[in-house]
Amino acid sequence: MKYGKLGALGAGALLVFSACSGTTATAAPGTSTAPGGSSAVAAGAWCVGGTVKIGTELPMSGGETANGAPTANGVKLAIKQQNAKGGVAGCKLDINVQDDALNGVHDPQTGAKNMQTLVADAAVMGVVGPFNSGVAKAEIPISNGAGLLMCSPANTNNGVTQPPEGDTYRKTNPTKISYIRTASPDSIQGPSAADYLYKDLGKTSVYIIDDTETFGVGVGDTFQAEFKKLGGNVVKRDSAPKSTTDYTPLFTAAAALNPQGVYLAGTTPTGMGLALKQGRTVSGLETVPFVGPDGVADLGPGGTQGATITIAGAASHDVYGTVGSAHDLADNTFTAAYTTEFGGAPGAYSAAAYACAQIIIASLDKASATATDLASAREGVRANAVNSANTFATVLGSLNFDKYGDNVHPFISFYKVDMTLAGGKGDWTFVKQESFSDPNAQ
Amino acid sequence: MTVDFRRVIRPVAIGTIALLTEYALLGTQQFANALTLGAIYALIALGYTMVYGIVELINFAHGDIFMVGSFLAMWIMTTVLGLSGPVTNLLNLVGLLSIVMFATMVGMGFIGMFIERFAYRPLRHAPRLAPLITAIGVSFILQNIISSLFGPSPVNVPQIVPLDKFAFMGGKIGYLNVFMVVLAVVLMIALQLFVGRTRLGRAMRSTAQDREAAELMGVDINQTIAITFFIAAALAGAGGVIQGLYFGSIKFDLGFFVGLKAFTAAVLGGIGNTTGAAIGGFIIAFVEVYATVLGYTQWSEVAVFTVLILVLVFRPSGLLGQQLGERA
Repeated sequence: MKYGKLGALGAGALLVFSACSGTTATAAPGTSTAPGGSSAVAAGAWCVGGTVKIGTELPMSGGETANGAPTANGVKLAIKQQNAKGGVAGCKLDINVQDDALNGVHDPQTGAKNMQTLVADAAVMGVVGPFNSGVAKAEIPISNGAGLLMCSPANTNNGVTQPPEGDTYRKTNPTKISYIRTASPDSIQGPSAADYLYKDLGKTSVYIIDDTETFGVGVGDTFQAEFKKLGGNVVKRDSAPKSTTDYTPLFTAAAALNPQGVYLAGTTPTGMGLALKQGRTVSGLETVPFVGPDGVADLGPGGTQGATITIAGAASHDVYGTVGSAHDLADNTFTAAYTTEFGGAPGAYSAAAYACAQIIIASLDKASATATDLASAREGVRANAVNSANTFATVLGSLNFDKYGDNVHPFISFYKVDMTLAGGKGDWTFVKQESFSDPNAQ
Repeated sequence: MTVDFRRVIRPVAIGTIALLTEYALLGTQQFANALTLGAIYALIALGYTMVYGIVELINFAHGDIFMVGSFLAMWIMTTVLGLSGPVTNLLNLVGLLSIVMFATMVGMGFIGMFIERFAYRPLRHAPRLAPLITAIGVSFILQNIISSLFGPSPVNVPQIVPLDKFAFMGGKIGYLNVFMVVLAVVLMIALQLFVGRTRLGRAMRSTAQDREAAELMGVDINQTIAITFFIAAALAGAGGVIQGLYFGSIKFDLGFFVGLKAFTAAVLGGIGNTTGAAIGGFIIAFVEVYATVLGYTQWSEVAVFTVLILVLVFRPSGLLGQQLGERA
């Protein structure tokens, strides 16, 4: 609600149309965030009203708060820091926040509607989001048609970008992709979790439960394939829709097969938090490790609204998770700046969202040299960001994207829950991180 | 009193057969799960069936009344009683549970009466579609009130009953499961006795049978219908308490699916028939758990409604019949 009003206010300000003469920036754009490094002092004619926007399209409310809010905060921080340096080529930055959570759970239809809103706001130069792969699949056809850049910090489903499925989402402009992502795809995340459970934790049998959604089924499949390849035994695979309230019979049936671990293939808002809570109470599963992908490892400490540890409570012990992003950042001032600004540690994808904003800012800085109006600036941002020849210096390190929009240097970070942290409520602690090669290089 | 085939022998026979089949198919552990889930469905189904029996209204807000009950219980436990974890002293536990149960049931009873007074009574003589639409409206109102009060994310309920288990016939049964099933059965028996043996129960039965005639005989119709809504909502409140205790997490839209399944249970047993609703609740839970055991979790809802369709095709009035003439 609050952000909706903010967006409306921004749009209203645009309608007033106070020409471009108002802003006279003094500082040059930051050196680390804007590799283009042009030293414009006044906003060009393209910068209508002296302000352009970065959109965010994330699940912000209810059970998704722990996912979306810290991610959007990453963008807010990047905008604030850039504005302190005078904006981009003399043009100030604003934010247009959209929330794709419907009744507290991410919703592809709501996401598609939000994407249309962002496309219609001519001042939006690029969008950070979405968070969930299922939402991305509903949004990419819209952004592809409009030529509006999306940079997702968190999408991991392979089909979002990679052909043949990925091609079906960019039919309008097959050669002008509009979507890039910093997160590692599930063809890396699922197998990494399988390796971790099998090799690091030494468990040879596993029970897999997914949430029937795009992301959950995809990551569950890649986990399952890798775990079998390693010689492990997948005792049972179940799919439970997000409307499930009673997971006890599922886990009771699985416990009879004595799995040494459980893989929660899905997200906490779509039921994996409840599954963890109830699965723990079933005889035989009281102490086995529960491993989840980034939909479970939200890195929110116990007590944060909608966070996995908040929902599962005391059942959160022996829980491990993977995040498709680097934990060790290239720019180590980020965490401190974030904590100062928002009074809490960053979420799993705060830094990645910050990196997405940096990419949009850097691309805008480059595009501003030739842009004549908002539309050409928007197209310039898209073209610069998706160009696989361009490399961006971001908080995650040097990033560039292949022809499908996938990050060519993906990382996976591993976390585990430590129940002694956050005053006994539990919090995630970093275990290790691994780097991989371009998922589309083979 | 002679033993009546329709009222006693048939329900007992159907109930026993259903339970034995369930046990044979599921084994001890899953049977305990199904019984526990069934206890919740049965408590809600009773409300659907009682309201339908007396005013022929399918109260689609009933699932949400159950949901409100779970939130009221959570609120009483956390805010009023300040509970956060398991209570290990048995005497304290019994005392606290009684307080929570009693306060929730009474509170929900009044909410049920309130809804009847302001949403349904003014429409009692309106075309039958009008109260049905109102019921759907009430359902949304309740959901949105709870969503704005407690937020749209799942809310944790303190698990005041320790999750200890005891070994029983090859399985491990939680004390909480036993408590839930016993509570549901006790409430159902109490309801049967109330409807069958008391003055108010007789008023309810006569109102259900013929409202005008009952009124002529001096039955206060408004009061009787209000009491029916009170009891229906109180039972849903009891269901809400055990839902929170057992699953440990509640959400504002919880009432929709659970309510739909409980409604199915009521129709399955024969809508208007309280014994049927109870048996229907356990059967629906059994079908759901059995679908899960077979590995078809995604299809459990399909299975539930397939059973409903089959029963309605072959026994349109439900398993036990609608008990026309003395439904309540």
